[in-house]
Amino acid sequence: MDLHPGPDAEALRAATAEWLVSRLPLDRASNRPAGLWDELEAMGWTALTLSEDKGGPGLDHATEALVFAELGRHLAPLALISTAVARRWTGLDRRAALAIPDGAAGWRVLDPEGADRAIAVADQALGLFAFTSGEARPTIDLSTRQVRIGDASLDPIEAPAALLHLRVLLAAYAVGAADAARDMAVEYAKLREQFGQPIGAFQAIKHICADMAVQSAVARSQLYYAACALQEGDADVGFYIAAAQMLAVRAAIANGRANIQVHGGIGMTDEARAHLPLKRAHLLEHIAPPALRALL
Amino acid sequence: MRIGFTPEQDRFRAECRDWLGANVPAERRPLNAADALAFDRAWQGKLFTAGWAGIDWPTRYGGRGLSLVEQVIWLEEYARAHAPWVGANFVGLNHGGPTLIANASEEQKAYHLPRILSGEAIWCQGFSEPGAGSDLAGIRTTGRVEGDELVVNGSKIWTSFANVADWQELVLRTEPGSQRQAGLSWTICDMRSPGITIRPIRMMNGQTEFCEVFYDDVRIPVANVVGGLGNGWKVAMSTLSFERGTGFIADQVKNMIEVDEHIGRARSSGLLDDQRIAEDLALLRAEVAALRAMTYRNVSEAARTGQPGAEASLIRLFTSELAQRVERMAVRLIGDGIVDFAYGDDDPVAEYLRGFAQTIAGGSAQIQRNIIGERLLGLPRGR
Repeated sequence: MDLHPGPDAEALRAATAEWLVSRLPLDRASNRPAGLWDELEAMGWTALTLSEDKGGPGLDHATEALVFAELGRHLAPLALISTAVARRWTGLDRRAALAIPDGAAGWRVLDPEGADRAIAVADQALGLFAFTSGEARPTIDLSTRQVRIGDASLDPIEAPAALLHLRVLLAAYAVGAADAARDMAVEYAKLREQFGQPIGAFQAIKHICADMAVQSAVARSQLYYAACALQEGDADVGFYIAAAQMLAVRAAIANGRANIQVHGGIGMTDEARAHLPLKRAHLLEHIAPPALRALL
Repeated sequence: MRIGFTPEQDRFRAECRDWLGANVPAERRPLNAADALAFDRAWQGKLFTAGWAGIDWPTRYGGRGLSLVEQVIWLEEYARAHAPWVGANFVGLNHGGPTLIANASEEQKAYHLPRILSGEAIWCQGFSEPGAGSDLAGIRTTGRVEGDELVVNGSKIWTSFANVADWQELVLRTEPGSQRQAGLSWTICDMRSPGITIRPIRMMNGQTEFCEVFYDDVRIPVANVVGGLGNGWKVAMSTLSFERGTGFIADQVKNMIEVDEHIGRARSSGLLDDQRIAEDLALLRAEVAALRAMTYRNVSEAARTGQPGAEASLIRLFTSELAQRVERMAVRLIGDGIVDFAYGDDDPVAEYLRGFAQTIAGGSAQIQRNIIGERLLGLPRGR
């Protein structure tokens, strides 16, 4: 038992974080540069768990989750998740979008740019379908666009681990969003002054930040545990991953909301970035939500 | 990272399970203080004789000399076997002992640690005072140095097991006129000393677990000071770090088992069909799982660095509030059965009422939030 990232995993996490600070700053989340996808692909993030004979570094799911939490902190494209899952479990060699049900028959294809295949999540199962991207429209998450399409013919992905893998990466993105909101709130609470002192000196604000820290730590701990359970083929892996996903999304929403409150008036504006993690959290809330029965 | 244990650790777990399966007493811990004390001593003595006391304590003081990981395994199996609550041995085993290991002289350790492990010596805590609760630095009980003795006057409160304890971890103001954190000393007080008066306090669940303790010219040898005269604040903080950190592992596993039992009961009674109850139970089950993951993370960090992680204060806060939610759920599942609660009952309602202590004792939830805000997040101090 060891739930502390080792030196290699930590080095990879730190390198990822450093790259993201310069290439994927949060305040440009609604306006990503053209050609970004090729750069992200070149970093190898969609192939982390591929074995060496398939051209990947053969890392474990926990290290991958650590890296995806950093990506999530910068609201990186959702297609990194769907592409990583598609590559690993279907051998697809190009970008895959991420589709969620839209009413009874249709689909919302998220992050469709440059893709002609989508990983689809419905009824606790995973499939792949082909689609033709029309003009993409906004989602609540300013860094994610969508096309809505009618019925599509789904090619089921048989490996049960594929959906578990997808859930771990979604949980990692949510942990990242929760951390981003926590850090933004704490940073602001140290700078913003009222009544002659930084607002973070007041318990009313300090305790909000402390609760955000608890939310993040709880979600991150369960994420590590769940990723290890997937790697080690634990008998209860379905529960551990469902728990990780639920706690991570809850943390992202709770911290996203609290972050806006700590920012006060400026948190209400489009210009400040405070709304971005919350909006990402509300999108993640509706991607493959775990079934209640998986948790009981 | 991995959640699996090594083959040696798995063997150790099997050994724990076998022994506990054969030795956990069938009878419940008695409620009456004298009977409970005899029960706690006998059980601890049995653990000690069989080599299960102080798993991660040094062997020269009677411990097993294993790592914190084995301690966690033991506590997990302990809870799973429904072994008795540690009871009157709580203070000695969970924070008095660890404080001595970290801060005491060789003589102090050699005398006290084996006695704690064997259940021979019961310890209690003497930190809080009527005027020094959350503001612990407001301690006013004095220990005047007179030759090689301290002469103690004042009072302590919320002292669990004071009425049965042999020794007390007593924090005193030993420098006359000193203020706040300065001039305090952490001492070992013999609870049989002349001049000590103990008044038990009945809690809102009807049980009398803690007491008020009065000191009237009580004499303690200066040799009983731990960590040096005037260094009491530092030693007391190390005590609290044990109380806030690894001291609660057993409770965490207990929560996990209780939630599973609640789910089982709600399923057979049909209450699980209530969507709100089902959702709340699902969240609780996820949260107690996450609490184990947090503990594993903290233990892993301690194994690498030799220190409980800085995130121990997060665990402490989350544990206390989660335990209250679990206890509250138990009472929800009882429904109108709560109406029949009477003093003397030893049931989930008594646990629920006692559970309010979780977010008060050992640093209130609000104090924990200050600690997290200031020490972990780096927010400015201030009220």
